[in-house]
Amino acid sequence: MSLVRRVLDSSALYRLIALAIFATIWQLATLSHKSMLIPTFTDTMAAIPKLLIPGYSGDESAKLWDALYQSNGALLIGFAISVALGVPFGLLIGRFRTIERFANLYISILLVTPMAAVIPLLVMSLGVRDGAMPTRVILIVLFAIVMLIVNSRAGIRQIDPSLIEMARCFGAGELSIWRRILLPGSLPAIMTGVRLGLGRAITGMVIIELLFIAVGLGNLIQKYDAQLDGARLYALIIIVVFEALVLIQAVRWLERRVTPWRKTTSFGR
Amino acid sequence: MIEIKGVSKAFPGRKGSEPVQALKDVDLIVRDNEFLTVLGPSGCGKTTLLRVIAGLVPHDTGTVLVDGKPVTGPGPERAMVFQSFALMPWDNVLTNVAFGLEMQGVDKKTRELKALELIEMVGLGGFEKRLPGELSGGMQQRVGLARALAVSPKVLLMDEPFGALDEQTRRLLQEELLRIWEATRTTVVFITHSMEEAVLLGDRVVLMRPRPGRIDQILDIPMTRPRSTHLDSVESSGEFTAMVGLLWNNLRAMHSDVRRARQAGQAAATKP
Amino acid sequence: MATVAPTPARVASPGFISRLEAWPTVTSFIVLVGGWELIGRSLNQPFFPPLSSVLNELAINQAEIMAALGTSLTNLVLGFIVSVVFGVGLGLLMGAFRKLDAALDIYINALLTAPSLVFAPIFFAIWGLERWSIVAVIFMYSTWIMVVNTVTAVRTVSPEMLEMGRAFNAPRIKTWTRIVLPAATPLIMAGIRLATGRAVKGMLNGEMFIAIVGLGKLVKDGSGRFDASLVLAILVVIIVVAFIALWVVGWVDARLTRWLPKTSR
Repeated sequence: MSLVRRVLDSSALYRLIALAIFATIWQLATLSHKSMLIPTFTDTMAAIPKLLIPGYSGDESAKLWDALYQSNGALLIGFAISVALGVPFGLLIGRFRTIERFANLYISILLVTPMAAVIPLLVMSLGVRDGAMPTRVILIVLFAIVMLIVNSRAGIRQIDPSLIEMARCFGAGELSIWRRILLPGSLPAIMTGVRLGLGRAITGMVIIELLFIAVGLGNLIQKYDAQLDGARLYALIIIVVFEALVLIQAVRWLERRVTPWRKTTSFGR
Repeated sequence: MIEIKGVSKAFPGRKGSEPVQALKDVDLIVRDNEFLTVLGPSGCGKTTLLRVIAGLVPHDTGTVLVDGKPVTGPGPERAMVFQSFALMPWDNVLTNVAFGLEMQGVDKKTRELKALELIEMVGLGGFEKRLPGELSGGMQQRVGLARALAVSPKVLLMDEPFGALDEQTRRLLQEELLRIWEATRTTVVFITHSMEEAVLLGDRVVLMRPRPGRIDQILDIPMTRPRSTHLDSVESSGEFTAMVGLLWNNLRAMHSDVRRARQAGQAAATKP
Repeated sequence: MATVAPTPARVASPGFISRLEAWPTVTSFIVLVGGWELIGRSLNQPFFPPLSSVLNELAINQAEIMAALGTSLTNLVLGFIVSVVFGVGLGLLMGAFRKLDAALDIYINALLTAPSLVFAPIFFAIWGLERWSIVAVIFMYSTWIMVVNTVTAVRTVSPEMLEMGRAFNAPRIKTWTRIVLPAATPLIMAGIRLATGRAVKGMLNGEMFIAIVGLGKLVKDGSGRFDASLVLAILVVIIVVAFIALWVVGWVDARLTRWLPKTSR
C-alpha cells in the first residue's frame, strides 16, 4: 500500500509519463508524415550510441569526440577568462558606487546587445585561421562576462550592512572586511553568476559555431543538416543539450559544496 | 567614563527636503560600571547616539570622550551588540565569537580558548561548531553577546539587542545579561524601545525626544542590585510600576506632539 | 538575519533602465560616443569604423534598414506574444497543479539551460524559410524563463495570504484572481522582462541562421561583404530596439506593481 502511495507521489513517475507522451507523439507524427529531415524518435535514439561509443559504428564517434574537444577547449579558456575578469570587476562596482554609476550604461548595453551581431566584426579583425581560437574565446568572454559582473555586484549589494558595521566595530580594516565579510557574503551570488555565465558561454559557443565559424560541434550539426541526416542531427542536438545540462548540474553541485550555510535553494534559469 | 558634550548630528535629507537633525546639543555622562538604558520613540536619535559613541558615524559638533580620549572611530575598548545579531552565516559559533579577537591579531589558539570560555558563559556550551542559521534567534543573540564580551571591552554598546526576539526568549536573555553584568560590571549603554526593559535593567534611564533628537530627562532607578535572581518580584514592585508609569506619561505626550506636528504639516501641504 | 540567497530571477533582471541615473549616464554616453569616434578614426581599420561612418551608412541604407526592421519587428511581436501567452499560461497551470509541475519541471529547466539556437535546424526542417521558423526560434529563446518565473511566482505567494482567503471563505477562482495573481505579478513581470531581452536575441539569431529576412539578413550580408559599418549600424538599431522594448515592458511592470514598496523593486 505505502509503496503504491510512494510511487504515485514521486515526481519520477510523472516525468516518465511526460517523456512517454512526448515520445509517442513524436513517433506517430513522424511515421504518418514521412520527411527526410525529421527522423522518428526511435531512429534518433538509435543514433545516439552510434555517435557516442567509440568503434560502435565506424569512425563516427571519433568525429564527435574531436568536435567536443575542439568546442570545449574554447569554452574552457573563454569561461575561465570571464570569471577571472568579471567577478573582480563586479565586486568592485558593487562596493564602490561611483564607479558603478558610470559603468551602468555600458553594462546595460552589454546586457542587451545580441552578441551574435558582434561576431562578424571579430571575424574581420582576428580572422578565422587555426580554427579561429582567439575569435571564439573572445566571443565566449563577451557572452558570459555580463552575468558574472551583474551577479557579483548583486552579491556585494545584498550583504547585510550591519555585518560590515559589525566588522568595523571590532576593528576590521578594508582588507579584513573583504576577506571575512564581502567575499564569503557574495559567494552565493557569485556562484549563481558562474552558473548563469556558464549557460551563456555554452550558448555563445554554439552560436559562433552555427552562424560563423564552422568548427567543432556547430560544424558537425551543419554537416548532418546538409547531408539530410536527420537521425544523427537530432541525436547530436540532444547530446549538445545534454552536455550543457551536465555542466550546469556540476556547477550546482559545486554551489552547494562551497556555500553550505545557504539554506534557500535557488530556482533554475 | 563616557563624556558627551554638545553633540549634534544631522543627516542629509532626501532630495529637496531639509536635513534631518538626528541629535541636537546632547550632553550626557555615562559613569563607570553603570548600566545605562536609553529610551525614546522612533526617530529620537537613540540609535544615532549609540553609533556616535561606537565611532561608526562621525558627529558634526561637540565632543565624545571615552576615558578622556576623543572618539574618532571604532576602538577595541568599545564592543557592540546588534539588533539584527550581525552574525556571519558562513562561520560557525566559535569563529563568530572569536572574530573581535581575530581582528585584534590575537593568535588562533588564544582567541579560541577565550571564545570557548565566553560561549560557556552565555550558556551555549556544545554549540560551538554550529552555524548561526541552525540556531534560534535567542541563541544567535547569545552568540552576539559572547562575541562582544570576548574582547573584554570597557563599554558594552547594545542596540535594541532583544528587539527581534519573542517575549519569553527576551526575558531569559534579560536575566542572563543581568547575571553576566552583575559578575563583570562592564559599563553598558543599552538602547531599547521598551519601557519595562529600560526600568528592569538600568541604573538610570535616559529618555530622549524626537525632532530634533535630544535628551528629555534622566531618571534614577531606585531598585537595588542584584536583580537577576528575582526579576519577577522586581517587576511586581510598586517602584517598578511607578517608574514605568512616569515614563509612559512622558512618552504619550511626545507621541501626541508628533501627531500634531504631522497634522500641521499635512494641512500646510494641502493648502493651495 | 540577512537573507543570503537572492532570487536569481531578480538578480539578473534587466530592470536596469530604471536604475540608470541621469548625469552619470549622460557622461558615460558622451564618453562612449566620443571614444568610438576617436578610436575609430585613429585606428583606421576596416573592422572598427568611427561612429560617423556608421551613422552615414545608416542614412544611406535607410530604406532597406527600415524595411528589414519592419519584418524583424513583426517576427519579434508575433514570437513574443505567443511566448507570453504560452509561457505564463503553462506557468500558471504548473503552479496550480503539482503533478503537472512534477511531470514537466526538469524538461522546462533543460530547455531553459540549453543553447536555444541548436533547435533552429529542427524548425528549419519543419517550416523551411517561412516566418514561423523564426517565430519558433524566438519562442524557444523567450518562453522558458517565463514558465520558470511564473511557477515560482505562484509557489511563493505567502501562505498567510492564502489562509486569509480561506478564512473569508473565498472560492478557488476568487482566491486566484484576488490573491494569487496580484501577488505573483511582480515575479511574473520580472520573467517577462528577462524574456524580452531574450526574444530580441532570438529574433536576430534566428534571422541570421535562416538568413533570409530582416535585420539578421542584413548582418549576414554585411559580414559577407566585410562591411563593418553596415554590421555596426544594424547593431545600433537592434540595441535601440531592445532598449525601447525593455522600456515598454518596464513601464507596464511599473503600472501593474505600483503597490510594491520602492526598495524591493
